[in-house]
Order: sequence, then C-alpha cells, then structure tokens
Amino acid sequence: MRSLTFRGVSVRFGHGSHAMTAVDGVDLEVPPGTVVGLVGESGSGKSTLARAAVGLVPPSSGTITLGDTEPGNPRRFAPRLARPRHIVASPQARRRRQPVQMVFQDPFSSLDPRMTIGESIAEALPRRRDRHAEVRRLLQLVDLDPGRSGDLPTGLSGGQRQRVALARAMAAEPEVVIADEITSALDVSVQGAMLNLIRDLQRAHGIGVLFISHNLAVVRYISDVIAVMYLGRIVEIGPAADLLSAPRHPYTRSLLAAVPRIGSTLDDESAADGGGWRADILDAGPPDPHQPPAGCRFHPRCPIGPLAFPERSDCIEVDPAADAPARPHRAACHYVTDAPADRSVGRT
Amino acid sequence: MHRRQWMAALRTPVGAVAAGLVAVLVVLAIIGPAIWGDAAGTTDMGSINAPPSAENPLGTDALGRDILARVLVATRTSLGLALAATAIGVTIGLVLGTLPSVLGRRSGRAVVTLVNFLVAFPGLLLALFFAAIFGVGARGAVAAIGLASAPAFARLVQTLSATVAGRDYVAAARIAGVGRARLVGRHILPNIAEPLVVSATTGAGAALLAFAGLSFLGLGVQAPTYDWGRLLGEGLSHIYINPVAALAPGVAVVTAGLAFALFGEASAAALGLRATRAPVTPRPPVEGLAWAGGEDSDVGTPPEDVVLDVQNLTVAFGAGAGAVRAVDGVSLTIRRNEAVGLVGESGSGKSLTALSVAGLAPEPAVVAADRLHVNGCSVLGASDRQLATELGTSVAVVFQDPATSLNPSMRVGRQLAEVVEEHEGASRSAALAEAVQRLRSVRIPAAQRRATQFPYEFSGGMRQRAMIGMGLMGQPSLIVADEPTTALDVTVQRQVLRLLRDVQRETGAALLLISHDIAVVSQMCERVAVMYAGRIVEELPVSDLMNAAHPYTRALLASVPDMSVDLERELATIPGQPPEPARRPVGCAFAPRCAFADEQCTAEDPPLAELAAGRHAACWHPQTTVAVPEVAPSRMGGH
Repeated sequence: MRSLTFRGVSVRFGHGSHAMTAVDGVDLEVPPGTVVGLVGESGSGKSTLARAAVGLVPPSSGTITLGDTEPGNPRRFAPRLARPRHIVASPQARRRRQPVQMVFQDPFSSLDPRMTIGESIAEALPRRRDRHAEVRRLLQLVDLDPGRSGDLPTGLSGGQRQRVALARAMAAEPEVVIADEITSALDVSVQGAMLNLIRDLQRAHGIGVLFISHNLAVVRYISDVIAVMYLGRIVEIGPAADLLSAPRHPYTRSLLAAVPRIGSTLDDESAADGGGWRADILDAGPPDPHQPPAGCRFHPRCPIGPLAFPERSDCIEVDPAADAPARPHRAACHYVTDAPADRSVGRT
Repeated sequence: MHRRQWMAALRTPVGAVAAGLVAVLVVLAIIGPAIWGDAAGTTDMGSINAPPSAENPLGTDALGRDILARVLVATRTSLGLALAATAIGVTIGLVLGTLPSVLGRRSGRAVVTLVNFLVAFPGLLLALFFAAIFGVGARGAVAAIGLASAPAFARLVQTLSATVAGRDYVAAARIAGVGRARLVGRHILPNIAEPLVVSATTGAGAALLAFAGLSFLGLGVQAPTYDWGRLLGEGLSHIYINPVAALAPGVAVVTAGLAFALFGEASAAALGLRATRAPVTPRPPVEGLAWAGGEDSDVGTPPEDVVLDVQNLTVAFGAGAGAVRAVDGVSLTIRRNEAVGLVGESGSGKSLTALSVAGLAPEPAVVAADRLHVNGCSVLGASDRQLATELGTSVAVVFQDPATSLNPSMRVGRQLAEVVEEHEGASRSAALAEAVQRLRSVRIPAAQRRATQFPYEFSGGMRQRAMIGMGLMGQPSLIVADEPTTALDVTVQRQVLRLLRDVQRETGAALLLISHDIAVVSQMCERVAVMYAGRIVEELPVSDLMNAAHPYTRALLASVPDMSVDLERELATIPGQPPEPARRPVGCAFAPRCAFADEQCTAEDPPLAELAAGRHAACWHPQTTVAVPEVAPSRMGGH
C-alpha cells in the first residue's frame, strides 16, 4: 500500500478572463490505512481535487503521485493522471489495476441503468479470473445478497446502490479510495450503516481513504486527519481530534460553530464561540471564485480579520498561505494565536 | 424485451394505425411483384392512357400497363430504396456522432465542427448536390439522400452521447480502466438507443418522401425500373385525361410516409412509457376512498389563533381498489407564532403532506381530509382561482432546491415584483420597488443591483433568501419550508435558518418545517411530528426529544452521528427499509424493524394516543426510559 500525495496541485478551468482556479496549490497526503476527511463549502474545490486524483480532470500544475514513484520511473503514476485521456486510451492501461478508485455522491447516476449490478462490478475487475465468484465475494463484502448480481440498479434502494458502487471500487483492489459525499444522498437511517461499512473495509484492507463531505459530524466520526478547504486551498489540516478540539483557522471555527446540534438554538453557537463574532461579517456570501480576494482569501468574511480589526491590513495584502507550514495545523492565517485553546467539541 | 409497453402502445389509436399500415406495406413489398408483376409489365397497345374501367381500376399508362398493378409493385422499390438511404444516413451519422467520444479532444472537436458545418445546409439541397455528383440513377439517389440525412443524425447522436458521457457511471467506468471504444459500446450507445431508433424511423419516412421527390424530378429511379415518384411524374402528364393515375402513387407516398412517422411516434410513446412508468406492484385494496372528491366536513371548531388545521389528511394515488395512500390520516394543527417540524425518511409522506397543505399536491394525487383549513379557509373545496388569491397570499412555500424554484430566464426582481402585481394589483414600478425592499429585508447586499440579475448570478444561499423574500411578498400567515437548507452548506444553512426564524417572528406566521435533519428542526421548532410510512407516529415538544417514546424516533436519533458520538463504537442503524406505501404491513408499519415488536404490533395498528400533555405516540410499547437506549450495534445491509 502506498500513499497518495498531492504536491502543489492546481486545477484551472477556462481560458483568459473566464479562467477559474478551482484548486490552487494543494499539498495533501493520504497515507495507507488512514482516512483523511476533506471539508469545505460547495465551490471550495473538494470535488475537483477528488476528480483530479482519479484522472477525470487534468491538473494544470503540480503532481499527484502514488507512493514514491518519481518522475522518470517508467511505471510512474502521475503522468498518466495528468493526461487522463491516456488512462483509458492506452491498451496496456486498460487491464492494469487502477489503484485509485472513487465512489460518487449520487448512487442513482453512478450505476449504468442498462447493466446488471454484477456486470458493473465485473467491469472493474483487473484480471480475467473467475469473475462470477469474484462478483459474489465483492457483493458479500458490502453486505449484499450475492444472488442479486443479476439485478438491474432500478430494483435497488439508494443505500443498496451505494453499496454496489463501493463494491465496484473495491473490485479494482484499490490502494486509495476517494469517497465524494457518499452519504449525502442517503437517508439518515442508511447513512450510519454506510459509514460503518466503509470504516470496516478501510481497516480490514488497510487502504487509504480521502473522505469528502460537508457534514462535519460524519467527517469527525470517520476521519483520522481532517483538512479544511476554502476557495481552492487547504486552510487548515491536522489530526481530527486536535483540529476539532482546537481549531486554528477562523473559517474552521465558523464551520464548527454552524453545525446544528440537538438542544442548541440558532443563536447560541456564535455566542458559545467566545469571540463575540459579528454575525453580519460571517453572513457575507462566499466570494466569486473567478476573482478570489487578494491577500487572505477569507478576509472579506473573517470575524477576526480587517472587518473586525481595521488595523489588520496584512490580511488584505499578504497571502498567509506562504508561511502556513510553519504554523500549527498548517493554518493559512496570520492571527492563528487568537484561536481559543480549547473547545467543547472533541473526541470524547 | 418490454412486451407490455409495446402492447400498450399498440392499443392506442396511433399505435394501432401505424402497426396496421406498416404491416400492409411490408406484405405488399414482399408479395407485390410476384402477384402483380406480370400485369404491371404487360403492355397493351389496344388501351393506351385508358380511364378507369372494370379491368383496369385506375386506368392504364402510355404503354397500356395497368396503373394499380404498377403502384402496388412499386412498393418494394420505393420502400427498399428509402430504407437503404436511411441505413446509409444512420450508419454515417452513428460514426460521426460517436467519433468525438472515441477520439482525443482535438480531433474530436474537428469532427464536431465538421458536423456543425454540414448541419447548416438544408437536406434537400445536399441531396440535389450529391445527386449531381453521383449521377442520375437509383444508386446515386440512395447515396445522395443517405448522405444528406447523415449530419442531422450525427448531431443528435453527439448531443445524446455528450449527455450520457457526463453521467457518473461513465466516469466510474473510466476510473475502472474501461477503454474509450468499449465505453461507447457498453455505456453510451445502449443508453441513447431509444431516441435514436425513434429518430431513424421518422427519418425513413422523410427519406421516402425525398426519394419520391428526386424520382419525380427525374433524378432518381430510371426506366425501366419505377417507384412511386416516377409513377407520379408519368401520371401527372395525363392528369387532365386520367387524374387517378397521378393521385394513386401520390396517395401511396403519403400513406407510406405517414406509416413511418406514426410508427416513430408510437415507438416514442412506448419507449417513453417505459422510462416513466414504475414497475407495477400488486396493491392491497383501500377502503373508504368513496369521498375521493375532496369534500370536507366540520368536525369540532378550532381555537381562534389556529392558522393550519389539518384533520385526517389522506393523499392517495390511483383510484378504487388500486389506490395507494402515501399519506394516511395525518392530523396537525399549528398556531400563530408557532413552528412545527415534520421529520421522517424519504418516502414517509412528509413532503406530500406539506404540498397538500399548500394546495400544491402533484396532479394524479387525490387529496382528502376531514378538515384542511388555512386561516379558516378550506384548501380542499377551493377553486384554482380561490387558491391563487387566498392561498397565494396566506401561504408561502420555500422549496428544497433554490436553483430550480426560480425561473432561470427572468430577473430576480421581476419575479418578486410579479407576486405583488398579481396579488395587490400594484403598478410595475411600484411592484419592483417593493421587490427591492423585500430583497433588502432578507439581507441581500446591494439589493437594487441584485434585483436586476438573473438567478444563476446568485449563490445558493442567496437564491434561497430570494425565495424567502418572494414568499413574504404576500404577507403570509403560514410558511411551509420543505427541506429549505438541504442543498446548502452549514454556514449558509445557519444564515438561511436564522432569516427564516426572524421572518417568522416578525410576521407572527406559523411555520411548518420539513426536514430529514432532526438537529435543524430542534433549532427552529417548538414541536416535532415524526412521520413513518405515511403517518405521524409521534408528536412531542422539541425539549422532550431525548425522551422520545416511539422506538422509531429513538432509532432515528441514535443513527445520526453528532459532534459527540463515541468514535470507538459502530453507529446505530435501523435494520431493513421502510415499507412502500403499497405494501404497508398489517399492524404497526414499523414493527418489522422494531426491537420491541410483539404479536399485538403485527396484528393491530396502534392509534396516535396521548401519553402526556402535548405528547402523542402511535405505539403499543412506548418507551419510558430517560436516555436514548443503547441500540445494539448491528451492521445490516438494506435487504
């Protein structure tokens, strides 16, 4: 098992004045046997990063490598990803195992409606072994009745379809699985079972998982490491327990404060956050990704930034990403020291 | 493969006529030349250009040949050439259409450009051009018409493939390492085959007409062979002597063209049926649907400040014995200033309940209730006009997906202004000013400028705020919010929820909040109603949620991970699936998934009974332990 490593990965769409940088210089590692949770609002680039990892979109710069496969190695992994057309175009690549697999958000569009679930799974099998037995084994692996391999996806519920999608990903014997919002289309009663399943599979097979979700409670439950994305960048990353109990970046803190909890009211989270944050600053809408703000990208919404403290002009002028590696949690914020040392949220 | 749909299509008038015509044409094409070939070829110098007679029902031509026989014999040639031309067009179209998916990006784009260029030419012009190149004759005409029809077909294939190629299952196959050509063959073509078949069928009709035209002009079939177009040309020169000689081949062309077009229509209908129709399942009979018209009667009188008063609401699909009750006997009252949450899983009937309350139940649904009043006015008996004027102003609805609930082609300000114009008869400019004011009140920055923008220029949260602003235009007394924040991120969700709550407090409106997220409901509402399989199974104050009595409510609460759930333990799950409305079990609908179920549960349906003041549960074994029980960690597939 090898680590999936993103080094300075950027993904740009469009040309000229219409260009948009969806992912901007992301450094991230998914070690074997580890679940890395990736959170952030829609449009922050989480899904684009996921699609780049499996070669569905080409990164415009940076490298995505599996293990320490250096450039120059004939079996290197990254160049194939950088030009995703060749992943499927080259006949040699076709029957080779694809070590990075992905499970999609919508189980109703991720299975071909004309193919039986057995055929869908068999398609991802790397070699022509005993396909029938393999499909049965994989269906059992995701707690589905192996006798249903001849069923079409129409006969299955959302949770069952998502299990099939997971079985298809496991069929390729992956080293890393990208799970892009895999529970957000499922009912809450099914969501728990799906989370238990992916956690069991990950532990049993020692695979790395990049788990993308906007649901912090779900990410907290499943992740060892949590990375927070904002406008194409990772603004904070750290071990899950640390990050949740002592978030450094104000964006992470505002995300944690916004998580709805039973027994809380809409007013008390921001108050509980201690800072007396001005709701009007947080309520500012997300900025236009075509024209990201200068300096710190979060400054137009930041409760501890120039809007609240006019003297903090460096937030507008200096990009905090440059010094991020030196700060705790690699936080992209000039004023991380303002972070509260402790929060009630944690790994209890 | 799907015989039932095809049989159903055959039973429609269009399908029956199409099938009949096609059958006649096919039979004629097969047996025609054998039976009438001699008569059609025999020259009779004794009766040249004869009018219709007993011997020659349609008269004879310039060489004394029987015209009826010739028309019948020409069926094979006419159909054969039309089908050959269609085959050429479809083949070239398929190749050109799928090439962009198989080739790399650059060469793919070149093919797309070529097709776009070719589509710009009118088909008939292309056909004449190709006919000139290939020379006069049947072979040239087939090639000409085939080539002329290819670009349009290629464009259709391209468009359909592009749609399918964007689906996740194609992406998944690419990740699995499936090659491009295989991708087209296995995933793209099978999923676009139906519209292509329909299009090819109608294309065959067009080819038939085009061929008749070319032959008529003398560019198609040459003597001694003949098709309908040529017969038409020959007959036309004698139209004043024997009009039937020209009419007969004309009728044949029109009939055959019609047969193809209708056949295409019928197959489109059959395939369309298949796409939309759910599998037919046996359904238990539903009693007491005799009042299915939607009459309501007065049962008691509600207190003064009750805004929404629902008694025994039933929403059924289908009629008579096959009716399925998706909502089955829901009763709910909401007072002024009160917020009530409705929670449940998908299919529990919570959205249907909300839509029925707003008079927006989807078309085939039969809504009935003992009482369904908003502000004392009945929603059920009301005409569409009454609904529009009374409900339109007193009920505001906020839907889940703000991207689809605003008209994408209309400026946001105009859409809001329309509401004021409609309900208050305000002038255009006054209404627009009011709309800007509303956008400002839902905290949209730079409201004046934003009002002139289109919905796509708004972010998701901003659209939802605009929707709430739109609901406020009519000063509602009831706000129905159906999963208003499900599509939004947590920070935006909180903003929208706060706005909704502020608006509700300011206007004193009643709020019915539908959500699958109990935490959201607990933040917004005073009371919660939990729905399962079309019924309310528990109703309780939010503050009592942790002491819920119904095992389903407890299981639902336990299965949602929150920020304090124990990471070392597996998440609690509810085994099995909720029953489909058509397959509600006897007794308690939750019994098959319930840890506390016994014989009584599977035999008798528990009524919604009062446990304490303000607390109701439909359960034979209401739980009374204080904390949410330890649900055994079980890993169940959703079998």
